[in-house]
Amino acid sequence: MEKVDFSQPIRQSSKGIIIIFAFNVIKFFKNFFALFIALAFGLVRKKSFLSLTPMNIILIILGIFIIIFIIAVLKYLHFKFHLSETDFHLSTGVINKDNKTIPKSKIQNVYIKQNFVQQLINVVSLKIETAGDKKSEIEISALDKSTALLLKKELFNRINVDSENLEVSENTNVFFKASIKRLLLEGILHNHLKSFAIIASFVLGLYYEFKDYIENLEFDMDIDGYAEYEGDTMIKFLYIYVLIIFLGLLISMLFSVVRIFIANFNLEVIENQKTLEINKGLFNKVSLSLTPSKIQNIVVKTNRLKRYFNLYSLDVKQAMANKKLSKNLGIIALDKYQINHLLNKLLSDYQIEDEVLKPETYYRRILILKSLLPIFIINSVAFLIFDVTALWLNLILVPIVILFVRLRYKKAHYNVSERFVTVGSGAVDTITNILEINKIQAVELSQSLFQKRKEIASVVIYTASKSVTIPYVKEKDAKSIYDFLLFRVESQGGDWM
Amino acid sequence: MNFANSQIHDFSLPQLDEVSLKPISKDYYKIIAVNKIVLYAILFALLFVAKSFVDGDTFQNNFWYALTILLLICLFDFVISYLAIKKRKYAIREHDVIYAKGLLVNSITTVPISRIQHIEESRSWLARKFHLSTLNIFTAGEAGSDLSIKGLPREEAKQINDFLSSKVNGKSGLLTTD
Repeated sequence: MEKVDFSQPIRQSSKGIIIIFAFNVIKFFKNFFALFIALAFGLVRKKSFLSLTPMNIILIILGIFIIIFIIAVLKYLHFKFHLSETDFHLSTGVINKDNKTIPKSKIQNVYIKQNFVQQLINVVSLKIETAGDKKSEIEISALDKSTALLLKKELFNRINVDSENLEVSENTNVFFKASIKRLLLEGILHNHLKSFAIIASFVLGLYYEFKDYIENLEFDMDIDGYAEYEGDTMIKFLYIYVLIIFLGLLISMLFSVVRIFIANFNLEVIENQKTLEINKGLFNKVSLSLTPSKIQNIVVKTNRLKRYFNLYSLDVKQAMANKKLSKNLGIIALDKYQINHLLNKLLSDYQIEDEVLKPETYYRRILILKSLLPIFIINSVAFLIFDVTALWLNLILVPIVILFVRLRYKKAHYNVSERFVTVGSGAVDTITNILEINKIQAVELSQSLFQKRKEIASVVIYTASKSVTIPYVKEKDAKSIYDFLLFRVESQGGDWM
Repeated sequence: MNFANSQIHDFSLPQLDEVSLKPISKDYYKIIAVNKIVLYAILFALLFVAKSFVDGDTFQNNFWYALTILLLICLFDFVISYLAIKKRKYAIREHDVIYAKGLLVNSITTVPISRIQHIEESRSWLARKFHLSTLNIFTAGEAGSDLSIKGLPREEAKQINDFLSSKVNGKSGLLTTD
């Protein structure tokens, strides 16, 4: 492997021109999307737009491409970076020169990514994140893989020399590699209700739009088959609806299987001494590292079927300093043992509590009351579209809602230990939220007038990346949890980053 | 260790119930009132203008109903916001800032001083007339964890700002040297 000398200003790989060009073209098309639509419409309708002939338009577009290409070349030529003893230097800008210097000690994270275009020409992009504001983020969009890895190592090596958390990067091993079978299984057993709901509402909307047209169609069909079916029309309709729902479910399932498969293809977790590295993606290859000290929240997800197949997923929410920005990093298709191992690694000596506390039964009543609204909305929409017969829908709807409420209440639990807060929630999914108490940013006690009468309150716990709610506990307990959390945060003086 | 077992903490821990929360300045209601008076004046004016210009029978017949409804909403709004302002309270402790608000859903939010990122004191034109300030306290957390204490007497806002700033900077002064 040829050694790259980072101490002299160097450019990115010459393939970078293509990447910059592609980025700029995409950006250009995004910005002038509306204009292009107008152009296309104009062309279709009158064979001209603003008295321009198609030939002229093609010439203009070509001209734009050439200009973008020239800009890309200039940008490439003026994009230089190098490393000094303590800093990373980057100079950019064609007309306005811009020199950035980043002290290595301020570098928080170095990501290596590869999108589809970059995969085609075999380069990677390297992103440097600092503790400053968003503007100080740097992305080098085209590097050879070996150069990128070397640069990453250089950047990190120096950090480790002057900070105390020595990371022995040699001591790594691939801890987990998701097999294709398990990825597909994860996709199939995914909670499809959300994507189904989206697709269903979309289809319903379409149906409403073209209602008259479809009714005409059905009317024709009815006349054809009237003699045969006669009284069976109702059943026939039922068949059609069941078929539609089944198809909808199938489509949403396929959709999430493909989505999950593409996003997590070749998922692997590499275990370093202190950090974890995640590599995944088919078209967009991502390589991320997790540092335990930066983790704000951890969410473990599964559902009944997944539990049967020993499938768990782990979402890690990492915060960046001084930014209202957090990264959501997920690992899927883990088994129970691996989940426990990772939890132990990311949260030192976290124990899964056997004893859990439940919200008050009042929570169930609130859930029932809350579910009345969707029932009402679904009923009125169905009534508007399908008439009175649609009210039969409640025969299915009400039991589902009751089941949901039961599950939500059953899965709701919480536990506050010396160092961690664990909150369970979810209806179809079983979701476990874990956060370390010294990562807390603020605590809120929330109580409605009705709750006050019943002496019940909720505790909302904010970290830098999300909020977790302990719902509907006794006011006395809520207050002592509140006091306890604040006491821990304020007395320890531990840092949240 | 489970929390339910550690009830001993209860009498050794500083407690929320012991804190006496201080209501924000009564003058803040005047600011709210001025804003609302302007809003409703415009709405009433629109209604009367509509009465003299629109000829439709349905509108003319229902004009008095519309006026009554608007009047009721207006009264209701004034009463509710008056009651709600009474619920806005705050307290500064040695290690944290507490802010309570909300009539229908009352929430008490506490931000430890060690988690404050920065503090902002802002004063609108109207607030300046009443010698009031708004204190915005930002954390690194979600939007819900930021505090915005409105209607503080100006002197007090300044004192709180100074106190918190000195504490925040005293802490981060050590951190930013690296």
